[in-house]
Amino acid sequence: MKRLLLLSIVWALALVGPAAGQEPGASASPAAAGSEGGSGLALIARKALVASLDGPTVIDNAALLIQGGHIVGIGPARELEIPDGFQVEDLGDLWVAPGLIDLHDHVAGSLRDLNDMLFMTNPGLRAEPTITPGIHAMKQAVAGGVTSVLLIPGSGTNMGGQGILVRGGFDTFEENLIRNPGSLKLAQAGNPERRAPWLPRRSFMNWNTRVTFKRGIAYAKAWQAYEKGEGPKPQKNIQYEVFRDLLAGRTQVSTHTQIYQVVNKTIEMVAEELGLPVYIDHGTFDGFRAAERAQASGVNAILGPREVQAPLTYFPITDGRMLGVAAGYQERGHEMIGFNTDAPVIPQEELSLQAAMAVHYGFDDSQMQTVRGLTIIPAMTAGIDDRIGSLEVGKDADVLVLTGDPVDPRTSIERVYQQGRVVYDARKGKRRW
Amino acid sequence: MRTLIRTKATLFLVLAALTLGVLPVAHAGDDEPKEKAAEEESSEPEEPQDKWFAVVDGDVYTGTGAVLRGATVLCKNGVIEDIGYDLWMPEETETLDARGYRVYPGLVAINSSGLFGAGSDLPNTFNPFGQNLVLALGSGITTALTGNEVGKLKYGTLEGVQVKTNVFRYLSFSKSSPAGKRSLREKLAKAAKYRRAYAQYEIDKKKNKDLKEPSKKNVDSNLVSLLDGKWRPVFRANERTDLLEIAHLAQQYGFRPIIQGCREGWTVADELGRAGASAIITPRDRRPKSEQLVREGGSSIENAAILYRAGVSVAIIPGNVGISLGGIVGRDLMHLTVEAAFAVRGGLSDEAALAGLTIEPARLMGIDHRVGSLEVGKDADMIITDGDILHYKTFVQWTVIDGEIVYDKEAHLYFAHIRPRPDSSLAPEQRLDAGENPPEEAAAAEGGDEEESEEASEPKEGGGGQG
Repeated sequence: MKRLLLLSIVWALALVGPAAGQEPGASASPAAAGSEGGSGLALIARKALVASLDGPTVIDNAALLIQGGHIVGIGPARELEIPDGFQVEDLGDLWVAPGLIDLHDHVAGSLRDLNDMLFMTNPGLRAEPTITPGIHAMKQAVAGGVTSVLLIPGSGTNMGGQGILVRGGFDTFEENLIRNPGSLKLAQAGNPERRAPWLPRRSFMNWNTRVTFKRGIAYAKAWQAYEKGEGPKPQKNIQYEVFRDLLAGRTQVSTHTQIYQVVNKTIEMVAEELGLPVYIDHGTFDGFRAAERAQASGVNAILGPREVQAPLTYFPITDGRMLGVAAGYQERGHEMIGFNTDAPVIPQEELSLQAAMAVHYGFDDSQMQTVRGLTIIPAMTAGIDDRIGSLEVGKDADVLVLTGDPVDPRTSIERVYQQGRVVYDARKGKRRW
Repeated sequence: MRTLIRTKATLFLVLAALTLGVLPVAHAGDDEPKEKAAEEESSEPEEPQDKWFAVVDGDVYTGTGAVLRGATVLCKNGVIEDIGYDLWMPEETETLDARGYRVYPGLVAINSSGLFGAGSDLPNTFNPFGQNLVLALGSGITTALTGNEVGKLKYGTLEGVQVKTNVFRYLSFSKSSPAGKRSLREKLAKAAKYRRAYAQYEIDKKKNKDLKEPSKKNVDSNLVSLLDGKWRPVFRANERTDLLEIAHLAQQYGFRPIIQGCREGWTVADELGRAGASAIITPRDRRPKSEQLVREGGSSIENAAILYRAGVSVAIIPGNVGISLGGIVGRDLMHLTVEAAFAVRGGLSDEAALAGLTIEPARLMGIDHRVGSLEVGKDADMIITDGDILHYKTFVQWTVIDGEIVYDKEAHLYFAHIRPRPDSSLAPEQRLDAGENPPEEAAAAEGGDEEESEEASEPKEGGGGQG
């Protein structure tokens, strides 16, 4: 727990940057929810899943106060004072939970445009132009409780380009935008090889990727020096612009990395050697063998879409067992485990099933690790936990109203709020999921 | 020894039959255990030992609506002999202590691929030690359709595998083939006309003994037997128009269709209900409605629930009917119960969802006299789980087919390491168990099923339960 606390402090510090600095690409969230006016909403629920990392996990018979698109209060309904003028809605037996976050999505935009395999590394390409607000897949996602996603380029090359963090509930690009660039997509192995059979394989790819990283970091450092008045103005190069965000901690490297030696390489190269904020965004097969090192180097593990390693001849480590991937990380002491779908590999609306399957195959959920792994942990991983990821005062009111445990496939989602606005209501019109 | 007895018994039967001038008809594996029992009874000189087996003190979910807490299921020679409390059991009864566990009927997969062996010829391709067979048993499946045959997942033996052959008969009635539609309509009209003529003939025959039978020329005898109610046709259909037409045709001619797919069934559920239809559906089927449609369409998570409410019986099958070892879990036959859980998400009751995996598929395949529920006289096929079968955390601990344990979670490597049983050598000293009361926080995270946890632990405290 101490480790967890320390980590959260580190994260909190890292977050002061973006919160204060507000890079140009970020949307000003309060403005969007200003339409709510002064009137507030108080939801009375049987349970509120707070999902903060170290605070309370569940509040029974809770009241959740929403105003101006934000959460302005949460606590036991008996104790929390509901301000005058708030509209009170008793949800009866229903629960409330924070909206779920998927850091590996390819369906928030036009899928075929996401994998432009131009060079072996393409840090300048952006997923942004493909974003399609109101796309069917994201409507389904919201109905399944997934309110925010990281849309990333495919893994056809070692660096597919820049991802973008978006909401799913609104009809316009501006309303949906959370942060751009949402990440730099790195794919070290296990797909880029297929780009062309005559191209070099992992040894060269690793060398080439490292070269790109080093050039990018040098470029960003030159700009940092210039901004401090310590050097000449560098020439602008859009291929490497994203490294200025990376070096300033405003975005992260999201990594298509799986299989032990590849995951190990991600940690060694990107986190330990280059010192960039990086997280695992598959981590599957026997990737869990690198879990201890990942935890020690502050590399979070967002796992999926494969949740199990079956006994197969080319993975002799299973000893005939069906090994849960998330359980594997957990058993080795990793404390920052989240889940992803790689939609459309797993439909976006089935994000919570990924956590359910992790539990089935041995992931310990006694401290609600699943709910955290679907909310606050991905939010912290992407550096947006100052805005979303838990039901805490000051955050966006991205709230699910549901019939029970969000991880149970039997639970249905009745209503979804994003920034305090109802973006899905199963009881009005067709239930989508 | 047993084979010797059986040979003698068969000889005896054949002789007896010959004296009566009748030859016994060889059923293709149908009702085999019962036949065996009958054979064995008739061998008087050496009375074979009856094989007794009992699952003791479990919470028995019979699948017929009744739940008996802390009850015993007693089996004799592979058939359920009794279910209840304080049952008389012979001393030699082999028992399985299910205290704190739940007992359900074995799951029935209404389609499968690759569970039994290589091909569709079940008796000649069956691999009784296959990996997929064990994984399917570990997922609670005891009976499955493969090709057009039904088999039991008999681990380690080649006997009693085949349950039924030629299970489904298909008809096609779709707007994609107008000629096929016209042809079926005409054939049905002829068959109906023939049946009327034959009925009239049977009346008139009493007055006029020389009357000739009506001609069967150009009459499809299959369709005559369909209209006689001898079988139910299966239609592969998803679109609303096709479903409506099938429902109308069925109502006009008085047969009950089984509809495979039935994606847009929720839009015409009342019509299907009136036609007495049944549906084999995949609750997670996903197909958005075409933008060109001005009416409701496409898939719906509520499909199962809406159909069920309209009186359509529902059998559930996942989109992937094989065992997937690629690492993506929750979408194949190994997670049959997950598929049913999604039907519950769409509004189906837990009971109806379980029926969709047990008695409903058994009925549709015409094997419900043997499997699909726990009732006296049926095959002793059951699964013993550590919790609610529809909960994602639950594991099958034991699987029983024909009164024999064919799967034990701790005896196979696949899942043995995951939450081992408290009495297991694999178990750490302090652990959380699905059947025990988890700490408060965990209970909250588990979908508020504190009630269920309490129920599950009841028999533990109460010793023999209500008995």
